[in-house]
Parts: sequence; structure tokens; C-alpha cells
Amino acid sequence: MQITSSTSGALNVATMEGRLDTATAAGAEATLIGMLAAPGLVLDMTQVRYVSSAGLRILLKLAKEAKAKGAAYSLVGLQPAVREVFEISGFDKIIPSYATLAEAVAA
Amino acid sequence: MTDTLHLRLAPEAAELTALLDALEAYAEAQELPMKAASRLVLLADELAANVVKHAQGATFFAADVSRGPDAVTFTLTDDGPEYDPLGRGEPNTNASLEERALGGLGVHFVEKLASSAHWRREGGHNILTITLDAAAE
Repeated sequence: MQITSSTSGALNVATMEGRLDTATAAGAEATLIGMLAAPGLVLDMTQVRYVSSAGLRILLKLAKEAKAKGAAYSLVGLQPAVREVFEISGFDKIIPSYATLAEAVAA
Repeated sequence: MTDTLHLRLAPEAAELTALLDALEAYAEAQELPMKAASRLVLLADELAANVVKHAQGATFFAADVSRGPDAVTFTLTDDGPEYDPLGRGEPNTNASLEERALGGLGVHFVEKLASSAHWRREGGHNILTITLDAAAE
């Protein structure tokens, strides 16, 4: 899992690439928690091929941290296989996601 | 290019990466459609992580994958204590979500994404077999 940091508008953007799985989840968590600050963080997951339950736990933890910090938090570019995992776990109702970064920044 | 894959790995977290790398390469070589490939990798991660974390005393786990015309079959074998991760029987309702079989979500994924799932104990091994729709795009 590679994570690249950038900004779009006022928001931090984490561009993720690879698998968010059991082996990579802890490392990704540390990086992403460090990038989470008001006004907000967008995770660009266009190049994330898989998200396992370990990955979902991190995305949920970030959602709770964002709420506590008053930061916006959203996901961008969920691939069909990732979206499937979100839907069957109910995470699509918990964490907002958008098709494009522009939509996430404008939200 | 053979249409089967066999891997025997040490029950260590670092080996999960080797397993998933091999499965991704297999899915690509077999030209599995995207959802079939991702379901295979996802469920392998959930099931193997469960063995790595919980099968105390296990000396190995093995993954076998084969492909038929309609289905991909994934079998995970380990020599840890007898344990059915599909959670048949009485669930431990005092356990937290994380402590339950497959961390709760993992077994949910198996139920939702696999066409079938079967566990058996044989020759001192846990043998878990799942089948997946090979045409899922």
C-alpha cells in the first residue's frame, strides 16, 4: 500500500494505491491518522484493488476520529469490487463516497 | 500455465502478503474477471489472517486454488487446533466483534460472496473449502 499526500482546495488528499488488507492496514492507519485534520481529509481510492475487514476497521476508525476533530471525511473512486464490500458490510451508509475528487471537494 | 495453485506457508502475518501476491498473479494469469479475482483475494485474506492470528501451535497453512468452467475453488488447510471459523454451533455472545470467528465481518463476507463454504477436520488438519463464481465481473 502506497499513500501519497497532497491537497485539493482546503482539504488534505491521501491517494492510496494497492491493497488495504490485513498486512497493510496498520501501516496505512498510522499514515492516514497523521493526515486527518480540519477542515478535512479525502481518501482517493481509485487505485485500491481490495479492502478487507481489517481495512474497513481503519476506515471506520478514521470516520470516528474525523467526527471528533470536526473534520470532513470522504472517499473517492471506489472500484466495483471495493464498492461491493462496502455495500455488504453497510459501510456505504456510514462513510460518504464520491465518484470524483472534484465532487468530494465541492461537497 | 497450470490452472491450479498450491502454496504452503508459515503461519506468520508476513506470509499473508506472499499469499495475496500469489493469488493476484494467479487471477491475472487465469484472466478471472475483476469481482471473481477480488472476492478470491479478499476471502483468502480473511480466512488466512484468521489462521495466522488464532491457530496457536500451527506449523503451517496451505492454500490450494483450482479453476473449473464455472467456479473457482479455494481450500485453506492448517494444522492448528480444531476450529470451524464458519462459526457453526453456539456463537459466543460475550465475545467482542473482533474476537468472534473471523472478526464478524470476515465470516459475513464469506456468507455473502462465496457460492459455498465447507469446513471439516481431517487427519489433524482444519480444511476449509469455499467456491466462488468464476464469472463475477
